[in-house]
Amino acid sequence: MSKNIDINVKHLTRVEGHGNIVVNATNGTVEKVEWQVPEAPRFFEAMIRGRKYDDIQTIVSRICGICSISHSLVATKAVEDALGLEVTEQTDMIRLLMHFSEQLQSHVLHVGYLVAPDLFGAKSVVPLVSAAPDAVLTIIKAHRVANKWSELIAGRITHPVTLIPGGMSQVPSEKQLKDLAGSLKDIVADLVTIVEVVLSVADKLPAFERDTEYVSLGNMNPAQYTFYHGDIVTTDLDEGTPVNQWESVANEYVVAQSTAKWGKWHRKSYAVGALARYNNNAEHLSPLAKVVEGKFGLTKGCCNPFMNSVAQLVESAHVVEKALEIIDKLLTQGIKQEKVDVKPKAGKGYAAVEAPRGILFHSYEFDDNGICLGGNLCIPTNQNHANIQHDFEKYVPEFMDQGEDALRQGLEMLVRSYDPCVSCSTHMLNVEFVK
Amino acid sequence: MNKDTIILGLGNPLMGDEGIGTHLIEELQKQADSYPDVNFMDGGTGGMQLLHYIANKKKAIIIDCALMSLEPGTIKRFTPDQVNTVKKLAHLSLHEVDIIKVIELSQQLGECPDEVVFFGIEPEAIIQQMHLTETLMAKIPDYINEILKEITPEK
Repeated sequence: MSKNIDINVKHLTRVEGHGNIVVNATNGTVEKVEWQVPEAPRFFEAMIRGRKYDDIQTIVSRICGICSISHSLVATKAVEDALGLEVTEQTDMIRLLMHFSEQLQSHVLHVGYLVAPDLFGAKSVVPLVSAAPDAVLTIIKAHRVANKWSELIAGRITHPVTLIPGGMSQVPSEKQLKDLAGSLKDIVADLVTIVEVVLSVADKLPAFERDTEYVSLGNMNPAQYTFYHGDIVTTDLDEGTPVNQWESVANEYVVAQSTAKWGKWHRKSYAVGALARYNNNAEHLSPLAKVVEGKFGLTKGCCNPFMNSVAQLVESAHVVEKALEIIDKLLTQGIKQEKVDVKPKAGKGYAAVEAPRGILFHSYEFDDNGICLGGNLCIPTNQNHANIQHDFEKYVPEFMDQGEDALRQGLEMLVRSYDPCVSCSTHMLNVEFVK
Repeated sequence: MNKDTIILGLGNPLMGDEGIGTHLIEELQKQADSYPDVNFMDGGTGGMQLLHYIANKKKAIIIDCALMSLEPGTIKRFTPDQVNTVKKLAHLSLHEVDIIKVIELSQQLGECPDEVVFFGIEPEAIIQQMHLTETLMAKIPDYINEILKEITPEK
């Protein structure tokens, strides 16, 4: 048994705020366990103040390259709330299609490129190509289809350009929707393959549980598994909370060990993400999603954070099946370019959507001319930081016997399972020239 | 979409000089009609999406902010084999991406363009602002000339 532990996973590259893991134990007594997030504060408010209401979604789409559709969608919804705009059923369906594309894109990327290497014992996806070539190729194929799907509906793979307050600046043609349906039907088999591959190594996911509050969208009428509509719900309460009260849900606060804010609601922390959505909505999954759920033995009330990646696989199946239903309905009703007429007015608006990694909140205030007076946002990862810390505090004593290396690996996997967004603002190259 | 050459401008325009790639692609797009075989693309901070953008193209030109230990504002053309990446990734998040590693993955998958060319631009300031520093702004015409040489056939 390891009596002394000294883990200090520090990532010193200044420009990309990585999370640090610090654990110290002497003679079997844990002295320090910390999840530190030295993320640079973002002056988001200053960037949107003074901007017109229809510029907001374009600016915020740049906050994150992986969740750019979610940021654009939630901003558009919040602007519409402030301006009192209603959208048509067609707009709503097309936006849902767009949103589902991002869920698939991000989930496949996370499970395939970040979680699978852990399960196969590879350092990253690059060496995994030679270790498990078929699995990697299937993942890349599914990711590519999801990207083309985003490109068709959002006008671009990342940073969408088709969303406008009140509607859509362009809509896909019937032929494009039929082609998309064909691609989605084709990748169902690939998703099943990915599920089987992950299932074959699922015993590598640590058996760790901690009773947790899970927060997501829910409470839809009629009931459904929601990523986009509904109230804020929690596993700790029966009734939903309206989205315009999100600031009293996230309860953001500052801690010494992190420059990213933390959040708490009914307990000292809560979790958001695929597992939270699953725990609040599982009975409304699509048929294939229920098959995936069954294969992994995932059940409602699961409190193993490592199962978030499994919940992402369940959701991948769900969004593909639901997208096919939406496409069917759009084709039956006929799709047309709708005119949007917006008159700015003063007001404050709130919105929430489920980004792939959890519930995402935005709010904005505008003057009579539709000029932004200010705004606020709360990203899923900030809501998860406190929960990661509390998971660490339970995980370390439970798994300390495995020794320092295994403990470090387990803690890194735990962070990865939350699919965090700790460094999304920059991706620059950092190179030295070969002499 | 199926053009032989793709020029990708990468970066985040909310982060000052980090967004130089996206600013330059916006400028280059104005001349797109003169280059029918070239696809101009604002790749933003899509990271791993780059893999799909460049797949099976003949040539990929990537414009990005690059820490190269050169004077701020310097533009440098290089190919992947001329550099070593010194970027350290924690592999904790999908949001950290090393473009050089994405090229490596593309090569391993056998779908990497025959020719990959980078135009790295050394930043002066990576700060939260939506405009470039004066140093880089002043050099935009030079950058455009330099990049266009790469896609203009020699006479």
